[in-house]
Amino acid sequence: MERIDNLFYSFANRSSGMIDPEGIETLCSDMEVDHTDVRILMLAWKMKAEKQGYFTLEEWRRGLKALRVDTVSKLRKALPELEKEVRRPSNFVDFYSYSFCYCLTEEKQKSIDIESICQLLDLVLGSQFRAQVDYFIEYLKIQSDYKVINLDQWMGFFRFCNEISFPDLSNYDPDLAWPLVLDNFVEWMQAKQS
Amino acid sequence: MSAQKKKAFQIEAFKHRVVVDPKYAEKTWKILEHAIHEIYNHNASGLSFEELYRNAYNMVLHKFGEKLYSGLVTTMTSHLKEISNSIEAAQGGLFLDELNRKWAEHNKALQMIRDILMYMDRTFIPNTHKTPVHELGLNLWRDVVIHFHAIQSRLQAILLENVRRERSGEVIDRGLMRSITKMLMDLGPSVYQDDFEKHFLEVSADFYRLESQEFIESCDCGEYLKKAERRLNEEIERVSHYLDTRSEVKITNVVETEMIESHMHRLVQMENSGLINMIVDEKFEDLGRMYCLFRQVSNGLVLIRDVMTSFIRDTGKQLITDPERLKDPVDFVQHLLDLKDKYDKIITSAFRNDKTFQNALNSSFEYFINLNSRSPEFISLFVDDKLRKGLRGVTEEDVELVLDKVMMLFRYLQEKDVFEKYYKQHLAKRLLSGKSVSDDAERSLIVKLKTECGYQFTSKLEGMFTDMKTSQDTMQGFHASHGSDIGDGPMLSVQVLTTGSWPTQPITTCNLPAEILGICEKFRNYYLGTHTGRRLSWQTNMGTADLKATFGKGQKHELNVSTYQMCVLMLFNDADRLSYKEIEQVTEIPTSDLKRCLQSLACVKGKNVLRKEPMSKDIADTDTFLFNDKYTSKFFKVKIGTVAAQRESEPENQETRQRVEEDRKPQIEAAIVRIMKARRVLDHNNIVAEVTKQLQSRFLPNPVVIKKRIESLIEREFLERDKGDRKLYRYLA
Repeated sequence: MERIDNLFYSFANRSSGMIDPEGIETLCSDMEVDHTDVRILMLAWKMKAEKQGYFTLEEWRRGLKALRVDTVSKLRKALPELEKEVRRPSNFVDFYSYSFCYCLTEEKQKSIDIESICQLLDLVLGSQFRAQVDYFIEYLKIQSDYKVINLDQWMGFFRFCNEISFPDLSNYDPDLAWPLVLDNFVEWMQAKQS
Repeated sequence: MSAQKKKAFQIEAFKHRVVVDPKYAEKTWKILEHAIHEIYNHNASGLSFEELYRNAYNMVLHKFGEKLYSGLVTTMTSHLKEISNSIEAAQGGLFLDELNRKWAEHNKALQMIRDILMYMDRTFIPNTHKTPVHELGLNLWRDVVIHFHAIQSRLQAILLENVRRERSGEVIDRGLMRSITKMLMDLGPSVYQDDFEKHFLEVSADFYRLESQEFIESCDCGEYLKKAERRLNEEIERVSHYLDTRSEVKITNVVETEMIESHMHRLVQMENSGLINMIVDEKFEDLGRMYCLFRQVSNGLVLIRDVMTSFIRDTGKQLITDPERLKDPVDFVQHLLDLKDKYDKIITSAFRNDKTFQNALNSSFEYFINLNSRSPEFISLFVDDKLRKGLRGVTEEDVELVLDKVMMLFRYLQEKDVFEKYYKQHLAKRLLSGKSVSDDAERSLIVKLKTECGYQFTSKLEGMFTDMKTSQDTMQGFHASHGSDIGDGPMLSVQVLTTGSWPTQPITTCNLPAEILGICEKFRNYYLGTHTGRRLSWQTNMGTADLKATFGKGQKHELNVSTYQMCVLMLFNDADRLSYKEIEQVTEIPTSDLKRCLQSLACVKGKNVLRKEPMSKDIADTDTFLFNDKYTSKFFKVKIGTVAAQRESEPENQETRQRVEEDRKPQIEAAIVRIMKARRVLDHNNIVAEVTKQLQSRFLPNPVVIKKRIESLIEREFLERDKGDRKLYRYLA
């Protein structure tokens, strides 16, 4: 316990008492992991961190205890296991929705701008659903109906990747309650294919 | 009555012990046989009924019924064979006659024979289940005479030949025909049917098939239908004269099939004379005839209805896409009404007010009226025109008629909310300029709209009327308290409008002339004195003014102008010439309004109280304006302001459309929330259906827009998606 706390303070900001973005960057370089790597996001998830770019003592404790690590090298070694755990279907949905909420930086913010969404999609789903993510990102960039994406649409896309056959989209039924942005995406795809 | 006591002994029927002479039966039979001969030879008068009856009676009594019966059969048969031969021998036209005569005789004979053999008929025959005498006589006639091959075929041929001759216009002996067919009926319905009716129908079908082919090649539709009708009536008459009544429906069926059903399509589509031509030329009689005839065949009316419907739709579509027609909205709507009247008349006078046709007409109108997105605006302009001048001097009843017609068109509109918007705008203009022809007519229409659409639709409109009335009262109060102050100053008349009820107007800048600022302030103070907590803002773009003007040679005129125009003109009291820029600076009227205002003051013939340098058509920033000393008009009062409602320009139309779309969003959301609150959980398709149903009295919501609204409500946490079934939404309390 003490070791975990001490480790915390080695990265934390003196005045705020939290690990701030600078501290996280240091941690990442110590672990030899890029700070934009999805595994950092997974770590945040494990910690149930609330604010993007910051870890509180409580969150740190929670995460490291759960991973049973108390040094940087142990933490680094625990990452593959963590990734496996997150990718388990039972956990992934939770992680997926967490990653969206984690990016809501402002107090009452409910949606994320297109640019950031594209990055997030790539990070979180890119390995699993490469084609869908690439096409959807392309679409998001050229459409003008939506300037932001909300949680409902975010979750909808994940469902889409899991349920709809791609790229033929043969089992997509626009009469069902898919978010409108996906209806438009499918229409755009079908126009491109014909 | 007391019950009779059982007798101690019973009285039995007297039994006469008769000695039966073995030759008795034979002897008795011979008597009877002889009688039958005599009867058939028309020698019945010499016979004694009583004697014969008794003989027959005795035979049966003494158990010789069998002999009697079989003897009867044999005798009758042989007589009938003779009769057959004589009928067969008859030549040509006499055949039928002979047959008829012999039939009558046979019946008479049969009657007599039956009377004589009554006892046998009543006792022996029922007991032995044999055919009764009368029936026996008919059966024998049938088998021996009618179905005698020589007679059978000839009979059939002659009957059919007679019908054919009559159909080609010859006169035949109907009475004789009647007797013969009656005979066949008497012999049994199957005899009538098999020996005559069946063949009659077949031959008739061939006949009419041929004839209809001839007609259709040589006649136009109207003529053909007349001929078909005539033939039908002929056949009905034929049946009533000499066929069995049950044949009527069968033969009319044949005529209808051959003459109408087989040629249905060709008739309707016939060039220059078919259904469409009849409709266009309003040939009510022909149309009525077609209706009655086609009604009798399956899908006949469906065909007429379908052809008429697609024609109406095409005509309507043409009307509403014709750019010439669309230039004048009032004219356009009048054409719609005329079109409806035309078809109403056709359906009433020719199609017997058939409900299915009415429905087809209504759905066609609904279809094409809504193809033009400006229909709501145009209908409102039509109403505006009527209420401004069209209904001047018209009786109350006729006013109601016109308004009812307008309501009928209104019902066809899918976008009733768009109509409401325009109606409000136009009504506001009418009320404020005092240009409405009849207050009663205005109110009557509001009531009709309320009945149709509910209180919500008209509550704001009624608010406008209330404001007008209240303003009148306010003005009275104002003049009463300040009347003496005015003296020589300008007279002010104010209408105070409640913001929510009137169409929204943007606030524009406009500096009122000093001359009226005084009285305006007085009014403001007066009003706010009695109504604290309210805010007043002058709607300078909606007012009017009457100015007394004196021109060069002393001509005086009274100019009726808009407020903007007043502001501009008053400037010329202090200056003879002013540049555009100067006018703009002082009045601060918005540019486009100012330009329009100056144009109407300087560039319109007969109304040019100002002169413009240069004399170009359009207003440029560099123009200079002068007071037109040389202005003349033969009228003392000159109207310059533009007040009448105009059809919107394209950009204005776009703007209105956008506002309507914006207004619809909250309505859709309110409907969704209402539905979800009641149902708690509902799937997507059902929500869309319910929302559409709820809003259909105002407009037809776009399913995509509904989906967007649902998503917005999800974001604002009024609804959520069901975690299990992704098709469902849940209401979040």
